[in-house]
Amino acid sequence: MSKRGNIPPKELLEEWKKEDEEARRIRRESADWNFINKQAPHIKAALIYFIEQGDRYVAARIAGLTIDEFDEIRRKAKIPVVI
Amino acid sequence: MLGVLDACFIIDWSRYRRRELLSKLFDIMYIHDEVLAQIRSTMAIEYVTELMTKGILRLYAWSDTDEVEFIRLREEVSSDPRIPAVERPDILCLIIAKSLSAILLSENVGIHRIVQYNPRYKDVNVWTALEVLENMVYKGLITVRSEGEFLNCIREYEEDTAHKFRRKRIGECIERLREWLRR
Repeated sequence: MSKRGNIPPKELLEEWKKEDEEARRIRRESADWNFINKQAPHIKAALIYFIEQGDRYVAARIAGLTIDEFDEIRRKAKIPVVI
Repeated sequence: MLGVLDACFIIDWSRYRRRELLSKLFDIMYIHDEVLAQIRSTMAIEYVTELMTKGILRLYAWSDTDEVEFIRLREEVSSDPRIPAVERPDILCLIIAKSLSAILLSENVGIHRIVQYNPRYKDVNVWTALEVLENMVYKGLITVRSEGEFLNCIREYEEDTAHKFRRKRIGECIERLREWLRR
């Protein structure tokens, strides 16, 4: 199978786009923005990245933390994992 | 039944009030040492240690063949920017699950999407905590007599772990559960 053959079909990409938008909206609406705005710049950046992308690995790296250290802050910021 | 655990799943599941049930659902679970190295919180470490002490959770013996497959799959998933990014530990878990015909416990969106389109991985079962809870009901580990009771069960998990399952996913799950309750 060529790499090109492993590209998701257009309909699936559309479905994913809608799912991503829904998840982003839920994270934005649930977040405690007062808490987020009081954080050090790198933590705040990581939390905002997580709200926008939902990726804990990358968010933890931005924060300079392990995944579960970041997850502790995510919970305090009331940002849900949307799946 | 065999399971493979990814880091985020363990971190979340270790916070769940009924976390002990996972070891009753699976006979053996596997973890890659790179995944294990990501777990640092006391709660998650205690839980993983408990599973390993009981012999239910084991380290997977990663091979050179697995590494070749990792390079192949990484190239496939990184060849188009529209495919969600996945990190090495996530891909390792997927490869282990395929290799052992095990169920992958992961809430990584990228992994769930790979099995939706990649022909070599479409038969791999990837469960979120929601499917784990559902299967605990089928196995009699969680007693549920109505949809409402199951929804309460989901709410408990969402509260304990700061999760939000999509309405669509819950709807599909409830549909299957409804069939099961009718029997």
